[in-house]
Amino acid sequence: MAEPDVPPTPDMPDEAPAGPYVYDYKAAPNRQIVMPKTVPLPSLRTYLAEQKAAAAADEAKWLKMQADFETAKAKAEAEGKDAPKPPVRPVPRKDDNDMKTPWPQEAKDADLLLLQERLGDKVEEIFEQAGELTCQVTKDSILEVLQLCRQDAALNYEMLADQTATHYPAATGFAFSVVYHLTSISRRKRLRLRILVPEGFLPESACAVYPGANWMEREIYDMLGIRFANHPDMTRILCPEDWEGYPLRKDYPTVGWGQRDISFREDRGGRLDLIALQKAGQLGINLKQPKAD
Amino acid sequence: MGINQLSTLEHILITTKVEKVMNWSRATSVWPVTFGLACCAIEMMAAGASRFDFDRFGSGIFRATPRQADLMIIAGTVTYKMAPVIKTLYDQMPEPKWVIAMGSCATAGGPFDSYHTIQGVDKIIPVDVFIPGCPPRPESLIYGFMKLQDKIMTSSLADRYKDIFEEVG
Ligand code: SF4
Repeated sequence: MAEPDVPPTPDMPDEAPAGPYVYDYKAAPNRQIVMPKTVPLPSLRTYLAEQKAAAAADEAKWLKMQADFETAKAKAEAEGKDAPKPPVRPVPRKDDNDMKTPWPQEAKDADLLLLQERLGDKVEEIFEQAGELTCQVTKDSILEVLQLCRQDAALNYEMLADQTATHYPAATGFAFSVVYHLTSISRRKRLRLRILVPEGFLPESACAVYPGANWMEREIYDMLGIRFANHPDMTRILCPEDWEGYPLRKDYPTVGWGQRDISFREDRGGRLDLIALQKAGQLGINLKQPKAD
Repeated sequence: MGINQLSTLEHILITTKVEKVMNWSRATSVWPVTFGLACCAIEMMAAGASRFDFDRFGSGIFRATPRQADLMIIAGTVTYKMAPVIKTLYDQMPEPKWVIAMGSCATAGGPFDSYHTIQGVDKIIPVDVFIPGCPPRPESLIYGFMKLQDKIMTSSLADRYKDIFEEVG
């Protein structure tokens, strides 16, 4: 595999565009963005840790209730009053309604176990949840894992059904999860691969293994700003070429940015012209009008 | 011959103004450009189909090129990326030309007070008739179109080119 090299960023004007990109939150405070404080990344390990923490909290609460009872009893005895009632340990609430959330479970599927056996350290976590298989791998090994999934006769995942990413601003150690949904048509199975990438990391492009990843990776770049190494055409796909920012990031204001005060022709045309001039300049073409004098 | 009696000439002639004839011919053959942006375009297509039959008012011939069209029905959400295309199409239409903004998206951004939507197509091109609704029913579109016909009938060449005439002097 070739060394992942940073795709050249086009030279953009330094100054931030004025007008339509600025939104006055003081005028409408209800439109302020609320950043998430938790990392709702589904994972067996976090689920078990959460369960353990909840059990520990319950235990601590029970111990405190007992201690409180002891002090109350001693106080009542000293004052010659009736002893207070001993505390009853609260029974954990039964979660037996129909709308139960399926929790992450230990991986039992042969595919996941095979992946772990073949890849060893490169697998960070495997688990099943609601019958879906998830395999989290290290961010540097994703191309190798995809190759294995596609080419191994026992796995044979022919299709990359979807590739997407999520922003986790509250997480430490990573900022995004990039998710690959693989489908095996011949074996009628689905598998989810996941990598966690920090800001600025360039995951290897999946185009070499699944050519259909091309546009999906462009969409991820457009919406979340994750660039992929060795991608044939790492440009925006949905937003205009001269767009600023990445709209699916959690810190991006999605409400209240409607283009109200645009002076359409000057703003956009001027900027696109500038980009065209720069691009032409890089190719050695001088598009500028010759001066009269 | 009395002044109130019709002359032979008047039996075979209609006297009118050139402007009125032109307005009449324009108002009864407004050809829209085939161009839809979002869900409202479905209602526009329904208005053109046989149940509502837009053609009754002389406006069913949706032209596939802006060069042959007089009317642009902006039916749908105007995104920031689509705006230059709309502007180009509008510029390509020959004068006289009219614009109907159909639905709340095209009139004011609709439910999308968001980063990608232009809050009303009148930010980029002049609009003659606004039709509210999300989506407006074909009847609304036809009503809006008839309002446009009224507007065309009362318009005058001098009004339309007043600025130019004033400039030329
Ligand atoms: S006004 Fe409503 S129906 Fe029309 S394009 Fe907008 S969202 Fe769709």
